[in-house]
Amino acid sequence: MQDKGLYYAYWVALLTVTLVGMGAILVRFTEGLAVTNLSNFVPWGLWVAFYIYFIGLSAGSFLLSTLIYVFGVKRFEAVGRLAVFTALISLVAGLAFVWVDIGHMERFYTVFYNINATSVLEWEIFLYNFYVVILLAELWLLLRRDFIRAGEGEGLAAQICRLLALGSNDVSPDSVKRDMGLVRILGAVGIPVAIGVHGGTGAIFAVVAARPYWHSGLFPIVFLVSALASGGALLAFLAAFFTKEGRRDRALVPTLGKLVGGLLALDLLLLASEFLVGLYGNIPEDMAAYNAITQGPYWWVFWAVQLGLGAALPLLIIFNGRTNVSPTWVGSACLLVVAGVLGVRWNIVNPGFSGQQIEGLGSAVLPTPRAFPITRLPSQLPEPTQWFFILGTLVFIGAVSVIFFHLLRQLREQRAGVLARSGAALGLLALILGSLWFIANNIPMSTAAAIGPSLTAILPIPKEYAATRFSSAYTPSLIEWLASAGIIGLAVTLFTLGIRLLPMEGEPVKEGAWHVRP
Amino acid sequence: MKRYAMVIDLLRCVGCNACTLACKQENHTPPGVSYNVVIPQEEGQYPNIKRLTIPRPCMQCDQPPCVKVCPVRATWKRDDGVVVIDYEKCIGCRYCMAACPYGARYFDFGENYTERGNEFERAPSPEYGQNRVREKGKSPIGNVRKCHFCLHRIVKGEEPACVQTCMSRARHFGDLGDPESNVSRLVKDRRAFRLRQELGTEPSVYYLK
Repeated sequence: MQDKGLYYAYWVALLTVTLVGMGAILVRFTEGLAVTNLSNFVPWGLWVAFYIYFIGLSAGSFLLSTLIYVFGVKRFEAVGRLAVFTALISLVAGLAFVWVDIGHMERFYTVFYNINATSVLEWEIFLYNFYVVILLAELWLLLRRDFIRAGEGEGLAAQICRLLALGSNDVSPDSVKRDMGLVRILGAVGIPVAIGVHGGTGAIFAVVAARPYWHSGLFPIVFLVSALASGGALLAFLAAFFTKEGRRDRALVPTLGKLVGGLLALDLLLLASEFLVGLYGNIPEDMAAYNAITQGPYWWVFWAVQLGLGAALPLLIIFNGRTNVSPTWVGSACLLVVAGVLGVRWNIVNPGFSGQQIEGLGSAVLPTPRAFPITRLPSQLPEPTQWFFILGTLVFIGAVSVIFFHLLRQLREQRAGVLARSGAALGLLALILGSLWFIANNIPMSTAAAIGPSLTAILPIPKEYAATRFSSAYTPSLIEWLASAGIIGLAVTLFTLGIRLLPMEGEPVKEGAWHVRP
Repeated sequence: MKRYAMVIDLLRCVGCNACTLACKQENHTPPGVSYNVVIPQEEGQYPNIKRLTIPRPCMQCDQPPCVKVCPVRATWKRDDGVVVIDYEKCIGCRYCMAACPYGARYFDFGENYTERGNEFERAPSPEYGQNRVREKGKSPIGNVRKCHFCLHRIVKGEEPACVQTCMSRARHFGDLGDPESNVSRLVKDRRAFRLRQELGTEPSVYYLK
């Protein structure tokens, strides 16, 4: 942002998006939820997906900051304050999304006295508030000394810093030591709270026994792991492109990137477990969800956004010896992870509504266009879409194969790698065969007929193509998109202001300061 | 103590949807909100096909999953077994809709059948004896709504509108607390079953198949 033109363009674009978005929120405020494309079949949509997305980013970046302040991992110290600040802004954005999503926005404060102890959502609301307090206190303690120092200068930033120092003027090393002690305690308290904040957000979905896709003990854990991956990725991206330290210390971002890569791999493992157990179970409502994810109207969110751009490509960059030393490459890969997790969140909320709670419910007479998304859809996907789907699978196999081969090459350098090598090769073979079978099962009927009986005898093509209906059909309305852009724009504005005006990177390294690096 | 319950005889139901309409008329519900629906189900393949129609009001569960998840205690089960909603408390988060295994809860998006709402739509609804008129920005718009066994009718000793209107007398309404009542006798029938019992919701609506 050294270039003045770029700087102005950034602000103009950001403020335009934010203002238009605020207008959309105003429309939503006056017209109610009728401006959304939600229905009685799909009561939660884009805003809920964004809500869990931002809560995840917040919990993830906060938990990473505790690595520094509680467990003393000095390696990441340069992004510590940024992590806590990002956690705060993300949480505020997440809460803003819940707020615009409720039917009576003016009654939001009643959640503090109409308490229902059996509601996970109610517990979450209290945890969020406790969490905000921890974040604010921790951030203030981290910035206190720099507020005082920066407040001595002239200009707007100095004035704001003077105000934010809240009258504190002790800059002695002892006071800093005390601050860091308190930060450590707050961080330690914050760990279970942050786990509760996001694991609990997963539990909001997991406790719904009526929807088998959500109803799994793995769900809150998946939330946490993907939160850590996305939070870490956001930090790595910000450190790479928005901090001086990220440019100075060339190893910082790649190290963060490796952490993100590991978490991402764990996330994929959990995803595979969820899918395999779910598919094996073959419960109709559950299958409806998996069908909607893999070949529904939003199949591309899963194959292209979540797996391709959000997992395979970043993993390739992060674990490739040529690219993983460059902060720019790793930072960009991490931005892809941050974007990909949005697909993960979408695929948590939306497919949950795919199944019909009672068979035939979607075709009951209910004379209204809003409640009839199911009948507006073709019972089978158009053929081009299916070919895209197959192409997506092929790209996925290709990407995974590259990772496998890369891993194989790594293993070759070790002597004890023979067993591991053969294991990995077998795994790859199984994956390719499995994917081929999967593709064969999803070839359009007309194509299967054209191929002829010779091939159909070899390939396990089902005789009757299962007509899948997707009752989770829901396309966010323009107002929903604009309002989301507004909230995100506001969050980015706050974040940019914070980075510009607050001492987010601390003072230049000086003797006797707490964050002296050897 | 009273324990209200409904028994629906599926062999008598002809799928005419009169219950759906009687309910809409009684409660003045807007488009998209239909406390009662008749679900068509088909079994088998042509020519050996059987068609079944399942009327679905709210099940008034004894262990309601919707009540458990409400963050503001806006919905609860009364002692007589009816699950009700306080429109003034409900914030419209729709968690109960996600949690209901029967799809029996509906969100009032504020739509009308006619552009501004005709005389019928602007007339007060007798729900919960509150006589609310639907107006923009005011409850029940922006709230979750559901079947309440026509509570305002049963407190007067009347039957729910859907029961009264059913031409084939497929629906029976009564008090399970009274061992001599019609429903108490019918639920003992070997044809009796409840929807999605495996979820432990203990519905108060029984079916005879």
